[in-house]
Amino acid sequence: MSGPDGFGHVLRAEWTKLRTVRGWVLGLVAAALVILLMGLFAAAASNFSCSGPNGAPCAGSTPPTGPGGEPVVDSFSFAHQALTGDGSITARVTSLTAVSSSDGQAPVEDTQPWTKGGIIVKASTTPGSPYAALMLTGGHGVRLQHNFTGDVAGTLHATPSWLRLTRSGDTITGHESPDGATWHLVGSVTLPGLPSTVRAGLFAASPHHEVITESFAGASGESYPTRATAEFDRIGLEGSWPDRKWVGEDVGDLGGPRAGAGAGTGFEETADGVAVSGSGNIAPVVAGRGGLGKTVEGRLVGAFAGLIAVIVVAATFMTSEYRRGLIRTSLSASPRRGRVLAAKAAVIAAVTFVTALAAALITVPLVRAVEVDKGFFLFTVPTATEVRVIVGTAALLAVAAVLSLAVGTVLRRSAGAVAVVIVAIVLPYVLAIASVLPTGPSDWLLRVTPAAAFAVQQSLPEYQQVTANYAPADGYFPLSPLGGFAVLCGYTAVALGVAFSVLRRRDA
Amino acid sequence: MEATIEVSGLRKRYGPTVALDGMTFTVAPGKVTGFVGPNGAGKSTTMRVILGLDSVDEGRALVGGRPYRTLRHPLRQVGSLLDASALQPGRTGRNHLLWLAHSQGLGARRVDEVAERVGLTSAIRRKAGGYSLGMRQRLGIAAALLGDPPVLVLDEPVNGMDPEGIRWVRGFLRSLAAEGRAVLVSSHLMSELQDTADHVVIVGRGKVIADVGVAELIEAASGERVTLRTSARTPATTVLARAGATVAVTGADTLTVTGLSGERVVALLGEHAVPFSEVSAHRASLEEAYMELTRDAVEFHAAEGAR
Amino acid sequence: MREALHVEWTKLRTVAGTAWLLAGVVLLTVALGVAASVACADTGCGDPAKTSLTGIAFGQAVVAVLAVLAVGGEYGTGMIRVTFAALPRRSTVLAAKAAVVGALVLVAGGAAVLVSVLAGRGVLSGVAVLSLGDGPVLRAAVGSVLYLVLVGLLSLGVAVLVRDAAAAIGVVLGLLYLFPVVAAVVSDPDWFKRLQRISPMTAGLAVQATTNVEGLPISPWAGLGVLGLWAAGALLVGGLALRLRDA
Repeated sequence: MSGPDGFGHVLRAEWTKLRTVRGWVLGLVAAALVILLMGLFAAAASNFSCSGPNGAPCAGSTPPTGPGGEPVVDSFSFAHQALTGDGSITARVTSLTAVSSSDGQAPVEDTQPWTKGGIIVKASTTPGSPYAALMLTGGHGVRLQHNFTGDVAGTLHATPSWLRLTRSGDTITGHESPDGATWHLVGSVTLPGLPSTVRAGLFAASPHHEVITESFAGASGESYPTRATAEFDRIGLEGSWPDRKWVGEDVGDLGGPRAGAGAGTGFEETADGVAVSGSGNIAPVVAGRGGLGKTVEGRLVGAFAGLIAVIVVAATFMTSEYRRGLIRTSLSASPRRGRVLAAKAAVIAAVTFVTALAAALITVPLVRAVEVDKGFFLFTVPTATEVRVIVGTAALLAVAAVLSLAVGTVLRRSAGAVAVVIVAIVLPYVLAIASVLPTGPSDWLLRVTPAAAFAVQQSLPEYQQVTANYAPADGYFPLSPLGGFAVLCGYTAVALGVAFSVLRRRDA
Repeated sequence: MEATIEVSGLRKRYGPTVALDGMTFTVAPGKVTGFVGPNGAGKSTTMRVILGLDSVDEGRALVGGRPYRTLRHPLRQVGSLLDASALQPGRTGRNHLLWLAHSQGLGARRVDEVAERVGLTSAIRRKAGGYSLGMRQRLGIAAALLGDPPVLVLDEPVNGMDPEGIRWVRGFLRSLAAEGRAVLVSSHLMSELQDTADHVVIVGRGKVIADVGVAELIEAASGERVTLRTSARTPATTVLARAGATVAVTGADTLTVTGLSGERVVALLGEHAVPFSEVSAHRASLEEAYMELTRDAVEFHAAEGAR
Repeated sequence: MREALHVEWTKLRTVAGTAWLLAGVVLLTVALGVAASVACADTGCGDPAKTSLTGIAFGQAVVAVLAVLAVGGEYGTGMIRVTFAALPRRSTVLAAKAAVVGALVLVAGGAAVLVSVLAGRGVLSGVAVLSLGDGPVLRAAVGSVLYLVLVGLLSLGVAVLVRDAAAAIGVVLGLLYLFPVVAAVVSDPDWFKRLQRISPMTAGLAVQATTNVEGLPISPWAGLGVLGLWAAGALLVGGLALRLRDA
């Protein structure tokens, strides 16, 4: 009676049905086309112009990239010497503060949570080069950070704190101590390919003070630089330090207030140690509204329009059966109603997935080429992440198509079904990114509604070591990619369950 | 599989409306069985129940001894045409047949065969939305034949067809029955079945009123009635009444005689030398027989003078 | 025209869905408006009047369904041919449909906006006193009702053009919801502003702003005018197609 071959026939019948109605084929082609065209449009309609002082082309509009390929901020004040081979540096941080000043006002104390002062081992002074740093921070205690994205917490929080970095081959180990006598291991990191001679020394940096207010027009921010000053003493060097002398240097473009006209660098030798002061940060760039960086999910913005086309096709794939009583023919050909629904769901999901995947695979590199051509910098992510975003987008459309099919089965009316599904998936997203709602309720919307699934498109992680507005409008979702996708799958499973039960109970 | 349809004790209500009220009958192979009744008598509902589309409160319908929903490739066992307009207009007739064929594990060759058999080959690659009603009926019949089924269930297959088409369907149904198939054809017009059906199931208000062979039915409805034309009304009446007949005057020179066969009337009149110009035995049409039976069962009585 | 109006009113009145959809407009608009007001009870989220009217973004979807079905239902069943047999002047039929749909949405939208503002007034009493006597608040309220009416007319025009209910809903909701999404990824400030200015939803809802009006991409009434142009364009093209095409 049952058996897989029977289901195979139903599948084949539903596939024949789908491909022989021109409107549906056109709808799916349109879905693929809008994914591509909207992606190209978004890139084409993005421009930036910036000019440096005196009309010079502005440097720094394209940030350096870190060892992982991601765009980074790498600007800080650095007192360094060459270190050849293995060795270590030890220093005691006696004070760490930051100040800000506006337009000639007297500077006021304005230490940021991620104001940094500490010791660092860096491949070179070129921004973006590999490094490992052990630092005291304004609000997060001792941290061992490396290569912009790595961040390990220590235990100490107060000044003075003793810090020590030890190089052994490619491995850098950080220790902290409250008194210089008992040392505690913070962590140890590997910097592959670190040259034998590196720059090592003392550094200070402090990120911008940012106040973000959300309003209907989007987020508006107030942002101004701060300048950190870190004081060190009891500096101890082991290994081969041929220079015997600290060199002060501003790595990258500090963009902050200078200490004074004469002080070219923020490096100063004091009676018993060294003081380093500077602005900037050593951290990955965070994507967000108005940012110039381009993400992989931004290239797939057309998926929203594609989604709407797919929803229409999927809903009518079922409701058209009811419109003219074709459902009776279908069910007398395949009396096991569950199978008919399952076959329809499988066909629409597979066709949508393949269509969307093909569209996304074409769109992403094309749009990327346009973006590169226009000089934008790209948020490079690991291949696995890019694959997840592309495949996830196609899967999102496929599951949404099944949801639409199920709702269409229950309502038997195309207009109602299409409206319900679009409103359920797209409206929460629109409300979350383009409406009044503050981050709290927006996050909530993107947790409990099917729109949560767009989390599958988020390619960039939230960095706990960077203060930023990780809001949905900036591309940061409250749920993990798979978690958000699971929410949509949950809704779809429930809708399919209801559809199965009504289809079975109802007279055709 | 045995080519039969067995319907027993079907009951179904839609709220206060009783749609089926103990519908019971059997359709035998090798015959065209007419399924007749006025609109709303439960014909279409019964057919949908047979095809597993509608559920019933009581009773069951079996095709070849099995409920429809348990059939593996149902169209290979039961071909059906419920509503010829149940099509998606944008799809060609051929593609409509093709998806149905695929659902039964059949190939495209079978599609072209049935299209040819119903005479639709020239139009089969056109969009079904542009078909005339008659062409849709042919397409529907083609769909029913797709699986070469031993049982056919057709709901009003000649609806909307031109006389040529109607004649074609009649001959076609007869040939299908001659191949040994069980054919159930519904109609609300008995006259449509006149030269087609071997057997009729007459229904009204959700149940079977009569389940008889067409020959028997006509026999029963005709009774023994003879129409007599004679200039000698009075002597004829006397002679025939004496022989036990009931005689009614139905015209200036016509009498209707009940209770005697035509031969007997002629013999009696000859014996008594009563002149007459014509004696004819009356034969009821299927329509008349049907009207006789369903007089009480018509649910929507036409208003006086209408129809 | 009077017959046509009467015909359309009778048709819409005697379809079971109409009453439910109108109730849906009120209910969903108010529900989302109240939810947004509650979420912003402490701060008002910058613009208390607009906050209390957030539900329009939801209610407009129901308005779109109502308007699309007023046309799509007839095409779906072939009744449109009966209608045109009875009233051969097709543009008159369209005008009558627009008038009846517009009037119904006006009533339902009026109720929805009134209840939303009153509810917002209660919930947001801590941050602002919403009063319809206040010029900008009144403009936001009246403008929101008109916004819904215009969305209804836009949907009607699209439905006449597309003739398929499902596709028409997709097109209308796409037009409304997609502009903000695309604007969010466009990083050119000129394009961003341009998109916001031509977006039927973003520009149309500018009429709800009561604070920071100077910072809007388009002034409130001009924004509503943009939506009006969309609606007029859709009706015009739809009417033209109605004349030229076979029914």
